Amino acid sequence: MSAVEAAPRIESRSNRGSATWMVVPALVLLIGFFALPYLTIITMSLREASTRAVYGEGFTLAHYTSALRDFYIWGILGRTLLIGATVTVISLLLGYPVAYHLAKSRSRWTSLLYIFVLSPLLVGLVVRTFAWMIILSNNGVANQALQAVGLIDFPLQLMNNSLGVTIALTHVFLPFIILPLLGNLQAISPDLAMASRSLGASRMRTFWKVTLPLSMPGIQAGTILVFVLSISAYVTPAMLGGTGGRTMSVLVVQYLVDNFRWPAGAALAIIMAAVAVIFVGLYLRLTARAMRRLP
Amino acid sequence: MTRASSGVEKTIWDRLFTVLVAAIYIFLMFPIVLVVLLSFNSGEFLAFPLEGFSLRWFEALFSNKRFLDATLYSIRIAAVSTVVNAVIGTLAAIYVARHATVARDYIRLIMTAPLLVPEILTAIALLFYFYEIRIGTDYSIGIQIGHIVVTFPYVFLNVSSALFNFDRSQEEAARSLGAGGWMTFRRVTLPAIKPGIITGCLFAFVISFDIFNISLLLKSLGSNTLPLELFDYLRFNFDPTAAAIASLSIFMTFAAILIIDRTVGLRSLRF
Repeated sequence: MSAVEAAPRIESRSNRGSATWMVVPALVLLIGFFALPYLTIITMSLREASTRAVYGEGFTLAHYTSALRDFYIWGILGRTLLIGATVTVISLLLGYPVAYHLAKSRSRWTSLLYIFVLSPLLVGLVVRTFAWMIILSNNGVANQALQAVGLIDFPLQLMNNSLGVTIALTHVFLPFIILPLLGNLQAISPDLAMASRSLGASRMRTFWKVTLPLSMPGIQAGTILVFVLSISAYVTPAMLGGTGGRTMSVLVVQYLVDNFRWPAGAALAIIMAAVAVIFVGLYLRLTARAMRRLP
Repeated sequence: MTRASSGVEKTIWDRLFTVLVAAIYIFLMFPIVLVVLLSFNSGEFLAFPLEGFSLRWFEALFSNKRFLDATLYSIRIAAVSTVVNAVIGTLAAIYVARHATVARDYIRLIMTAPLLVPEILTAIALLFYFYEIRIGTDYSIGIQIGHIVVTFPYVFLNVSSALFNFDRSQEEAARSLGAGGWMTFRRVTLPAIKPGIITGCLFAFVISFDIFNISLLLKSLGSNTLPLELFDYLRFNFDPTAAAIASLSIFMTFAAILIIDRTVGLRSLRF
């Protein structure tokens, strides 16, 4: 609560008397049950393992060193990052046209289309992943359709591997890239594109030289969001991944819930978070260069 | 690509673009429509062809005590989260918009932080923390606090955005006409930001009803939320009863979307 007390109490004319009490319940909630808990992941990861209690007496770095020496964990980390990167790229390729279309659309169907984008976001993850199980399973809708048109004779393995997880995660997180892009594209003045066109540039050239560079902030925000969400996703890889599509989150939950190895699981969670932070940091530096020329 | 200068080329590219975008909209909606279709299908399997309309899977769902209990439990958790956040989220949003000065950006950051970090990490953090402070996960208090924390930003952001769009001089006019602080709030501010509060609350309710990771790690013994129950069910069963549960959750979501669309408009949503 020090943040509140540190804030100087400049009383506005419309409100005599302190208003600090208004923010206290929210700060108690978010400091007491959000900020402090995050610290316990760090302390937990440094505890010694124990077979009789949740953790032992002393502190150790052993969980980090043994995790970083384990090729199995490196493999899962690599797969998680690969899935995250693939989902991010495909989401951008699919999400950009939709955002562009919605931003330009003047039709009376626009709000219906907006619901199409928004509703997958509000339907639960378990429900959406279950839908993809119906589609991707061995005798699922996708294999049924492919066999019916004669493209394949035997069902393809579409789930219990990285492929299924990638497809479903793309669907699950696509709205998260469309919405920031939409906000960004709507904020770009149509006059700029019009000026470019009137100066003789084709529509393609106008898009590449004017609209796309100006939408870089939306691309940046959306891709980071999708990347972080997909490498930390649990439900979809747990339901669709099987052993062939197991990701870091699934491994961490297995450590915590099935094996009851809290300190080792905490170390894995921190490794996962650290890798995410490093990748997002690198990405920010790279994209910052591309955005430097923007107004 | 060719320069789209002549009229013919333009239409071709426009049509290709329209087809592409239409395909992506279908990709977005298809899985959801599929689940609803199959939940009303009379056939035994979650596959095509559809065999006819039937409510048998909903009957199976409503005669299953586990699913009923889970639904009620989810509604209870979501309702408590919504009510608590309606009060503390609105108060915090008013404080940040009207009274906070120097620490404003930091307070805003803290208020939206649960949205900025992966839910699975928050779930793990709370699991350890509740153990350390001896609250544990034997009772519903742990999972309830987890749901409140994760849904808090939705109320805060939507009320903040309503406050931002609301002309402050109305409050000052009420004050200069002699209304007290409470009177001004009740008669001027509250009615003006009510749409934001309603949107935030609906959002918080739907999200709380849906979230999984928090519930998985913090659930108390013997009580499952509906998403957990569906997850467990799907481990050993794969039949249209699961589609009926999923449909129920989809209907609830669309009811919320419809209410938001009719009251304040979807585009005012903040998240």
